[in-house]
Amino acid sequence: MRTKFRSGKYMPFVFLSPFLVLFALFYVAPLIYGFYISLFHKYGLRPPTFVGLENYVKAFTDSGFLSSILTMGEFFLIQGSIMIGLALLFALYIDNEQNHFRGFFKLVYYIPFAIPTVISGILWGFMYSKSLSPFQSIFGVFGLHPNFLSSGSLFWSIMNIVTWEWVGYNMIILYSGLQSIPRELYESAKIDGARNFDVIRYIKLPLIVPSLILAIVFTVIGTFQIFNEPYVLQSMTYVSTHFTPNLYIYTTAFSYGNFNFAAAMAIVLALVTFAISMIFMRFAGFKEE
Amino acid sequence: MKKFVIPALLISMFLLSCAAFAGTVQLPVYNGPAVTLTFWSWVPGLDHAIALFEKAYPKIKINWTNVGTGQAEYNKLLTALTAGSGAPDVVQIEYQMLPTFISYGGLVDLSKYGANNYKSLFVPWTWKQVSQGNAVYAIPQDTGPYSFAYNKAIFDKYGLTVPKTWDEYAADAQKLYEASNGKVVLGNFDAGGTGNISWLIGLVWAAGGHWWELQGNTWVQTINSPTTLKVVNFWGDLVSKGYISTYTPWTTDWYNAMSEGKVASIMSPAWMPALLAQNLSSSNAGNWRIAPLPQWPGMPFTSGNWGGSTDAVTIQSKYPEAAFIFALWLNTNEEACVLDNQYGGLFPASYAGLEAPALHDTSTAIDQFFGGQDVNQFSFDASKAVNTDFAWAPWLNYVYTESSKDINDAISGKISWTQAFDQLQNASLNYAKSQGFNVK
Amino acid sequence: MDTKKSLYSPSTLIIMTLMFVASAYFLLPFFWIIVASTKSDSQLFSTNPLWFTSPFNFLSNLKVVSSYDNAILWRWFLNSLIYAGSVSAGTTLISAMAGFAFSKYDFKLKNVLFYIILGTIMVPTTALVLPIYLLMHGLNLINTYWAVILPSLVNPFTVYLMRIFWMKEFPNELIDAAHVDGASDFAIFFRIGLPLVRGGLATVALFSFVNTWNNFFLPLVVISKSNLYPLTLGLQVWTSITTTSVGRGAPPYGAINMGILISIVPLILAFIFLRRYWQSGLSSGAIKG
Repeated sequence: MRTKFRSGKYMPFVFLSPFLVLFALFYVAPLIYGFYISLFHKYGLRPPTFVGLENYVKAFTDSGFLSSILTMGEFFLIQGSIMIGLALLFALYIDNEQNHFRGFFKLVYYIPFAIPTVISGILWGFMYSKSLSPFQSIFGVFGLHPNFLSSGSLFWSIMNIVTWEWVGYNMIILYSGLQSIPRELYESAKIDGARNFDVIRYIKLPLIVPSLILAIVFTVIGTFQIFNEPYVLQSMTYVSTHFTPNLYIYTTAFSYGNFNFAAAMAIVLALVTFAISMIFMRFAGFKEE
Repeated sequence: MKKFVIPALLISMFLLSCAAFAGTVQLPVYNGPAVTLTFWSWVPGLDHAIALFEKAYPKIKINWTNVGTGQAEYNKLLTALTAGSGAPDVVQIEYQMLPTFISYGGLVDLSKYGANNYKSLFVPWTWKQVSQGNAVYAIPQDTGPYSFAYNKAIFDKYGLTVPKTWDEYAADAQKLYEASNGKVVLGNFDAGGTGNISWLIGLVWAAGGHWWELQGNTWVQTINSPTTLKVVNFWGDLVSKGYISTYTPWTTDWYNAMSEGKVASIMSPAWMPALLAQNLSSSNAGNWRIAPLPQWPGMPFTSGNWGGSTDAVTIQSKYPEAAFIFALWLNTNEEACVLDNQYGGLFPASYAGLEAPALHDTSTAIDQFFGGQDVNQFSFDASKAVNTDFAWAPWLNYVYTESSKDINDAISGKISWTQAFDQLQNASLNYAKSQGFNVK
Repeated sequence: MDTKKSLYSPSTLIIMTLMFVASAYFLLPFFWIIVASTKSDSQLFSTNPLWFTSPFNFLSNLKVVSSYDNAILWRWFLNSLIYAGSVSAGTTLISAMAGFAFSKYDFKLKNVLFYIILGTIMVPTTALVLPIYLLMHGLNLINTYWAVILPSLVNPFTVYLMRIFWMKEFPNELIDAAHVDGASDFAIFFRIGLPLVRGGLATVALFSFVNTWNNFFLPLVVISKSNLYPLTLGLQVWTSITTTSVGRGAPPYGAINMGILISIVPLILAFIFLRRYWQSGLSSGAIKG
């Protein structure tokens, strides 16, 4: 049924060319170059030596790198579940037209997403530091004096920042999914005597699985790329460079000067992210279009 | 580049003969073409000294940029060196990072421009820090030799005596803790946080210990030597008993603890008094005093160093000779040293700066904060007593980041302090080997 | 249509209260920074972090931030505008063209190409940044506006978005009609197409503006001159100087807090007034094309 352009073989590439040129320069070329240097070992300004896949073998045995991936895996399981769970509850609330203040909540929950993550990191970092923290007086009422920046609580403190930033975003993804469900389905369900809960259980949830998967996949990608928040907090407390893969890769490249090994780890990280995302997509039988 | 060596030699011979009268020393003349040098440094207010330099050397213009403090700058330098361009002519580098950049192949050996002739202008340990054998890779800029700063009001209140030895320090710590029911502690263990291990290294340094030595082409690493273990177990013991707090340095909490009289003293590198005077609440003014660093038994008066930096010339510089002259002038000109001290808080490495009358003017806010003591004189005396044998390794960054984990585990009691430093020794050794260093 | 029951049943009341508690959580950091921006450094550390105090130092903080280091913060503000503005304009045009090609033409390997582009969303930025640094060096663009702008122009996600907008908002039947009238492909794109997808253009423009405004990692690596910093980088540098300072002349907290406020106010305004587009971008992303 669709009529598309039939004119000229070259026309699509005329429209694509600005994008493709830049894509080739700033995505493809860097990736190829990154792969190329990952095959060498080099220290300082001495000439590089070809080592084949040795850097990859090293990446899979490097305790710092592995621990950063495991840390983020754990982070994803805990924080991702909490965040998407909350986002779902919020989305269901603002999707239900009987509820009040929907516009207000939608705006307020979503607003942190507009704030640069670096700035969120600084803001929360200040609010965590003992002498600036509003929480000390709040917790103080209960006789608690938590140190949010101690090495024991940092994992949770960063989870809180990331949740604060991204709940609203995920809420909107899910809300959009809910909004695209034809309203007639609810009407007919009501005629059949279904309660609100049943509507959620049997209509809404099954129908927003694609949105849910999308939110999960974005969360996987986002989690494994976390960098800004721990980087910013490094100036306020001790944050292990093994905390996130990107922090470790950045440190290896720019502080240790080992760009070759860093390149190998970056590629491994991309593959790990890709694999986990694919698992979720397959798992749900999700296909784009 | 070509014609420089001879005049430099002549002048420096003259210089050597009158080094004792430092203050009006004559530095090399520059006969090269008019050039503009790029200079990376994070010292605030450098433009004052640079303006003087440009007057003294009209053919050399300085384009100064602050690209970040410490590690932020090193990351950029490392990247620029790797990329093959983008590095400045002159760059500020802290002592501990010099071997990293030397072994990376990024710095010019300045001995070919006669740098060794100016050796006597600097406190001996600083020159040792910038050289490897006969090669000179940077000009010492500022230093942080350790003294001991304490809140006299608290000491008086609890009847503490100023500790001359570490035994006395430990006794004071216990006494204060018990007398105040733990509300006031004698000091803070300043090695928490990332990269703050320099504090502890400085104290090992002051105990006559060292972690690295370059023997020919081989590095010898002794992070878990008996001297180190003596020092860290001393602190570990105080920490575990709660006699010493463990705030992360530079945080507002850390400042507040001193400001509010919860921490009574601090190991004070030469640059610390200015920070205390500036950052502690005004109620502290006049209450603090400075004293020499406590000592271990059986050795002459010894101090260690924490912080300070150098100015090095990178291999990407097209005008290394002019760059060398600038680095040398900046750190040996009395007026420049005084300006950098006033605007940037630098405590100089050269006698010209150390002996400048302006640095011993006790009417300044800093000296008044310390009850009118000549604070810089204490640091000067400490600098002369800094052990010259201490050296750093090219894989220091790794040791810094690794140590944070080990030290935090030791503070929290997960592992013993000896274990922590055994681990650090082994992990660093493995890392250095994997990087292709000749190390044992 | 069933009428509203009693306004607040107990369960509604509980849920709504929880929603308001959550709102307080999301708004807390904003409230904290507004309060903090009215305090001098000593007030900041000695007064209740969650309430105002007198004297009111908002204006004096504004004065400090406008004079510290020759008012460099305002320079950063201008830089952020330049980066975000030019990237937004460029990306929108480039993505519109690419999305047009992907949705309205058939050509060899179209789908393969499209999925390759989409797949690069998973590539961690660390993998790209070092090669980009080297490339920028080769082009002599380090420490120029271009070093940030050029790589930011390529955004797989906005191409994906535009493709969806073209599919939804531009009926293929129009193409034939226009061809009959003798219009060229370019004329169709510019004169008929773009006005039809203007909602999509606004969404993409807004997204890339915010993305670029919030970018940190790329400028961190390719910009080392402080007068070219965007706000995010400048504020992070200020924070790290102040919290780890071992020298004099560090920026006061008052300046940092005011800087944070200045950096987020435009985003919050854009967010509130253009929220229609924020949401439509995400909803299009979530709905199958």
